[in-house]
Amino acid sequence: MEALRMEHITKIYPNGFVANKDITFSVQQGEIHALVGENGAGKTTLMKVLFGMEQPQEGSIYVNEQKVNIKSPLEAISLGVGMVHQHFMLLPSMTVAQNVTLGMEPKKRGLVDAEKAVQMTQEMSDKYHFGLDARARVSDLSVGLMQKVEILKALIRGAKVLILDEPTAVLTPQETRELFEQLKLLRENGHSLIFISHKLEEVMELCNNVTVLRHGYCNGTHPIEELDAAKISRLMVGRDVVLKIEKEDPKPGKPILEVKDLVCVNSEGKNAVDNVSFSIREGEVVGIAGVEGNGQSFLSDAISGMIKYDSGSVKLNGQEVGGMKIKDIRQAGMSVIPEDRMTVGCVNDLSVRSNAIADRYDKKENMSGIFLNGGKQKEITEAMIKEFEISCDSQDEAIRFLSGGNIQKVVVAREFTSGANFIIANQPTRGVDVGTAEMIRKYLVRMTRENGIGSLLISADLNEVLEVSDRLFVMRQGKIVAAFPKANVVDVDELGEYMLGIRTMTAEEMEGLL
Amino acid sequence: MNNAKKIETWFDLFRILVAVAVAYVIALIILAVISDDPVYVIGQFIAGPFSTFRRFGNILTTMIPIMFTGVCMCFVYAINKFNLVGEGAVNLGGCLSACVAIALSDKVPVWLLLIIVLAVGALAGMACSLIPALADQIFHADVCVVSLMMNYILLYVTSYILKYQIKDPGSSITASYKWTAGLKLGNLIPGTSVHFGFLIAIACVVIAAVLFYKMSFGYRMRVVGMNPVFAKYIGMPVMATIILAQVIGGAFAGIGGTVQVIGMFQSYQWTSLTGYGFDGLMIAVLARKNPAFVPLSAFLIAYIRTGADIVSRTTDIPPEFVSIIQGIIIVLVAAEMFLSGFKSRLIFNSARKALAQKEEKA
Repeated sequence: MEALRMEHITKIYPNGFVANKDITFSVQQGEIHALVGENGAGKTTLMKVLFGMEQPQEGSIYVNEQKVNIKSPLEAISLGVGMVHQHFMLLPSMTVAQNVTLGMEPKKRGLVDAEKAVQMTQEMSDKYHFGLDARARVSDLSVGLMQKVEILKALIRGAKVLILDEPTAVLTPQETRELFEQLKLLRENGHSLIFISHKLEEVMELCNNVTVLRHGYCNGTHPIEELDAAKISRLMVGRDVVLKIEKEDPKPGKPILEVKDLVCVNSEGKNAVDNVSFSIREGEVVGIAGVEGNGQSFLSDAISGMIKYDSGSVKLNGQEVGGMKIKDIRQAGMSVIPEDRMTVGCVNDLSVRSNAIADRYDKKENMSGIFLNGGKQKEITEAMIKEFEISCDSQDEAIRFLSGGNIQKVVVAREFTSGANFIIANQPTRGVDVGTAEMIRKYLVRMTRENGIGSLLISADLNEVLEVSDRLFVMRQGKIVAAFPKANVVDVDELGEYMLGIRTMTAEEMEGLL
Repeated sequence: MNNAKKIETWFDLFRILVAVAVAYVIALIILAVISDDPVYVIGQFIAGPFSTFRRFGNILTTMIPIMFTGVCMCFVYAINKFNLVGEGAVNLGGCLSACVAIALSDKVPVWLLLIIVLAVGALAGMACSLIPALADQIFHADVCVVSLMMNYILLYVTSYILKYQIKDPGSSITASYKWTAGLKLGNLIPGTSVHFGFLIAIACVVIAAVLFYKMSFGYRMRVVGMNPVFAKYIGMPVMATIILAQVIGGAFAGIGGTVQVIGMFQSYQWTSLTGYGFDGLMIAVLARKNPAFVPLSAFLIAYIRTGADIVSRTTDIPPEFVSIIQGIIIVLVAAEMFLSGFKSRLIFNSARKALAQKEEKA
């Protein structure tokens, strides 16, 4: 029997981004259904639509073969759809029973019946062998147990379809194994589970069917028997348009950036960047490929001074970057195109000009005495608008009125013209139109070759890393797991296997390439 | 895109006007209900402030202290930290200036004394706002709570100074010794109570506007206030900017205290909070944190105050009702969502029209 069916779902966000395009998928009762795809492929949006957090433009949803209209998570819950979020939504200072029964507390004479709440929670936990103590305070629990509380929360509300958004991301291997046993038990009990994950070995072990999303489109649903990890990886990663960038071979000069044994610890105490060492030389673009969330952002933030790293060293032009002010790091020759242009790369409410001159407004040549030099600022901005073909009504227009591509052009223009000799480009073309993306890529290559700067390109877009980079690394779980001397001859399928952890290079294989 | 921008630009102004109009309508309804002679009262309330030259002067006089605190709050508001110590800064600035004025009366020339007391006021205000700012940045103590509590500490400190250090035993009211008559700010417009403090206030507005829009500090401050993550990424000293903006704001409030004390009186008499600091918040909100608009919004508030004052003196209506009007205006102006449905409908409609035109062409 079909527990759930989503038909022809199309979701377009108000900024015009098409997150889901005509996606149809269904989940049988008593199965674990994997939903896989790269970041940005539309998995989360699709699940938000199912859980009533987003409204689709087109399409319909059937629960137990009845057409339903899910307008809010409350309605989703009442229809028996539960969601276990990747980031726990628990109140740490309350007990397990209080968290689980929150909002549906058992009552006795108008008062909360705490004893009953504990009893209900304990029964449910024992039924599925969760091993929870209903009276324990959530803040005292391990991450693995917290996740069980989350699952319990959904089950006690009568969830028959359970969405698990990357449930193993925060778990240790032992906890993962335990979780899988319990998920299988749920399946035997007739629950349907939607399992979102990047970890293909887990998908292979646990799931009955796999639906693959790519760039907002559905790439088919396949029974697990027909697949192996390499096949899934090909379906997920793929390579749609072949884009070619003409460039001669690099003639790398002296090293500009040297990263040695770098370690960054994240808020959960795990090594987000785990003993990474590499160097970037004059005149070359070094690419880092990888599924997002494998330490690329931490690496970029640590190098650019946005976060303090925990050990190791980062040297820019021979100078240790750790402990330096960001202003001084920039002065020492670094430019950064940040991953998130709207929250990091610009100030939405300020004008194009104010955004364009943000790194150089107080340079002596751009001031007139103690006052800002408006004329000079206009000149600088005008030059950028011309060179980068930024389309805006005027420099005084607030930058948020520009299209995504044009905002990115302002950011790129500022960072490329700052006079730096090292540039970090973190997802430089995400969400921008094809023309702008091409221009940014070509510019990066040209700047690197002609001006002898060193570039670090971090991107989830495989076309981009393969075409733009000279050397290419793959990052997974905070480590560099593969290194290639020439990016444009790397085989995509092979790359996908390294990204998804099917293969890993040994230190000897990467010798001399870092 | 272009249309959306136009709509957004005009919408802020439109919203403030609607807020003021709604507040006025509510005020008129209240007046009509509680008054025996509503037509006369309403006439006095609306036209009264302009009916004589003296009353018009009262508007300008009322504007003086709240322009200073309005400028103060523009800095605080621009940096997105609700440091409300302007209130206490007015008291401390006024009180310490009075102490210095009493001590140095007839010992230094009047022009020098004026500069000294203004400097004392500024320093006092800076010290006041520095404490909550540091508590916020270093200990993560909520700047709003600390500053509100500090206002009372400052009030009692100044009351102590007044009652035990500078009180003139010969005076029938609680007042300090008098300072030299030469220090009192002279009359600016004959026939009114407007004094030279008005010009000092305007000068402060100009200085603040230049600082905001013509100097690198102002640019930095606006960037930090609007997007601190960007400010950090681009290499701005975020923490220093946040603290300095509050300190500069405090200086303006402190000067405001000094000017009010030496402009209106010849002795220090404040035994309660003046309310100017909180008025400053209202004015900064109305001025959309742009110091250049402070005189305009101060004028609006002063006009309403003066009207209420006339009503309470000439009719049976208590002056408290003016607080109701102010409250309504602020709630409506500060509420981002007020009329926002209307705004998004406007933007949506224009976007749809643009799309239809595009499709027609294609």
